[in-house]
Amino acid sequence: MPVIAVDAMGGDFAPDEIVKGVARASLTTTIECLLVGHEGRIQAVLDSVSYNPEHISINHAAEMVGMDESPKEALRAKREASIAVGARLVAAGKADALVSAGNTGACIIACSRHFRTIKGVRKTALASVYPRQTEYPGQDRLALLLDVGATVRCDALDLVQFAIMGSAYARRVSKVTRPRVGLLNMGTEEFQGDEILTEAHRHLKMLAGIDFVGNIEGNDVAKGRADVIVCEGLLGNVVLKLIEGIADVVTDVASNAVKRRVVWRLGMALLSRGISEITHLTDYAKYGGAPLLGFENLFLKAHGRSTASAIENAVKVAAKAVRDGVPQEVTAGIQAVR
Amino acid sequence: MTVWSNVLARRPGADGGRTRVMPRRRQRAARRPAPVTIIYRWDLDKTYLKSDFESLRKMMRMPFERAEDKVDEPGVVALIRALKATARNEGRAALVYFISASPPQMGRAIRDKLALDGVETDGIVFKDQLQHLVRGRFRYLREQVGFKLAELLKARVDAPPGAVEFLFGDDWESDPIIYSLYADVIAGSLDHEALGDILVRLRIDPARLVEIKALARRVVGADAVRRIFINLERRTPPGRFRPFGARLVPTFNYFQTALVLHEEGVLPVAAVVEVGRSLIERSAYTREGLRNSLDDLGRRSHVEPLTLAALRRDLEEAGILATSGGFGALPRRLWRRLIWGRRRRHRRPVHRLEEPRAASTTVVEYQRVVDAWLASGGRPGGEPA
Repeated sequence: MPVIAVDAMGGDFAPDEIVKGVARASLTTTIECLLVGHEGRIQAVLDSVSYNPEHISINHAAEMVGMDESPKEALRAKREASIAVGARLVAAGKADALVSAGNTGACIIACSRHFRTIKGVRKTALASVYPRQTEYPGQDRLALLLDVGATVRCDALDLVQFAIMGSAYARRVSKVTRPRVGLLNMGTEEFQGDEILTEAHRHLKMLAGIDFVGNIEGNDVAKGRADVIVCEGLLGNVVLKLIEGIADVVTDVASNAVKRRVVWRLGMALLSRGISEITHLTDYAKYGGAPLLGFENLFLKAHGRSTASAIENAVKVAAKAVRDGVPQEVTAGIQAVR
Repeated sequence: MTVWSNVLARRPGADGGRTRVMPRRRQRAARRPAPVTIIYRWDLDKTYLKSDFESLRKMMRMPFERAEDKVDEPGVVALIRALKATARNEGRAALVYFISASPPQMGRAIRDKLALDGVETDGIVFKDQLQHLVRGRFRYLREQVGFKLAELLKARVDAPPGAVEFLFGDDWESDPIIYSLYADVIAGSLDHEALGDILVRLRIDPARLVEIKALARRVVGADAVRRIFINLERRTPPGRFRPFGARLVPTFNYFQTALVLHEEGVLPVAAVVEVGRSLIERSAYTREGLRNSLDDLGRRSHVEPLTLAALRRDLEEAGILATSGGFGALPRRLWRRLIWGRRRRHRRPVHRLEEPRAASTTVVEYQRVVDAWLASGGRPGGEPA
């Protein structure tokens, strides 16, 4: 069984929700979780929940990086921060993957410091799964968007590598035999966008082993024309936050409407099933976490506001990715292109 | 007399063999107190047997189960056998009793099951449900506190003087309360009036209440219960048992129980190894799982850190625990031989049964425990119903 290291101190609701999520995973799976963080605080949470001790071990880490701290400075000052210790443990082979809901910047820096980049990979990419409208038989209803924040700007070759890595992940984890890859752009025509995007389009079109479906516009992201969408980190992060924001606003508007008028309340009651389906679909807790691709080791970033069930799912996704050999698949994809 | 003649006088045979000097080993043996009797009292369902009474259908099926249909909890058979064998090797009596709220009609199948497992028992008590049925007192069919407490006190009256006890139960119903009450009554730390008030609040059979009060007066005041083990069969959070004090140890598996019993001085390392091996070979436990179980027990402070470190070393050597892997390819035993050049001497257990314990520091918060128990509809530690 794979060993998944979990940063117990990272996240808005850490360590309570993180430890509870791991406790749940210990009861429902045989995955071995290695909780990294303050031993006393972790045990205090464990004492209050049901768990299976046979699947949980703890590695004490005296320090932690806060969600609002500057990642670089915090990691420089706190050598024993839970995220750094977790990354070291994975790099040393004590665990097969690392899961964290903590400070994204600190996670990326810790992984860059301790994990080895796959030979040939120029830049790593943080991927994110999101729900889409179109359903394909035999596939899960999620698409992959990368990069969503590991890099700010990147060139055409970086985008090509993101496509290869995203494809490998979708093949292994989402079980899509031939993932459709799209390039996020301001128009569907291949000459749209700046030089980087047109060059990336040209390369992707010629690349064997990638099912390139062309440029994807913003309004196509949620429709699901592609299984993997590649873009630079800045743009990806904006898109991701926009999707999350819209989901939050829809829920808020609906609940406010209920309070205002009886007729609206009646209408909302009729729509409640549909709204709950949307909420269910956009619930990040269900998807667990998103991988940081490009390293020899696996890192899964869970949402900062992750609850116990999100962490439980993140642990399961990480174990699945380890079992399915995602880093090996990414390596093979990169090597094939080189 | 000179100094030299003093020395000569103390030497054996210095007076020409007229006086016999006892060899030092025998002198030590003579000074040693006689071994005390150990009593192990076990609950049956969910503690020894993996009884399945979550649904009415499964409950109805139980009386018709044959001995070979009954399944024991992982590691329990190896543990009881080891407890008996250890006592035999040490020349002390170890008595194993079972107490069950099942009707006596199920006795035959249970006795056959114990015989099938090779577990020697010194007695089994069943609950006579028929008398409640005949008298139409259906409320008391499921009542366990009065029945078990009375039976435990009756057994204590007949127990060998000075016998120490270890109690084993589970987290399904009221074992933690029953065992704690029993331990405090025989230790004399719970006065009869307070006991009466608690039992009234727990709504036990009034006839039992009178019997228990009478028995409580007869038992000799002795802090005889060393540990109460609660098998966390339904994975109740261990923190919920904190009001019961340090005497009560919630354990997730019988490997953890064996580790605590080792610290109590009733199980040698070899026996702990046997329990671990039985879990690995018969119940598909992993070495990593056992290592994690040991660490969990340490974090919950049920075993002293020094004992835990020594146990870890010994169990890793025996191949029961997954090693932390700091020594490279050579086995740890070989490394130690290379470094120290000799075997480590046998370790003395932390506690010795013959040595009187310091007065028990366990104070059970009965008020809180009973409130939680009532609020939860009769579940230990106040788990919401």
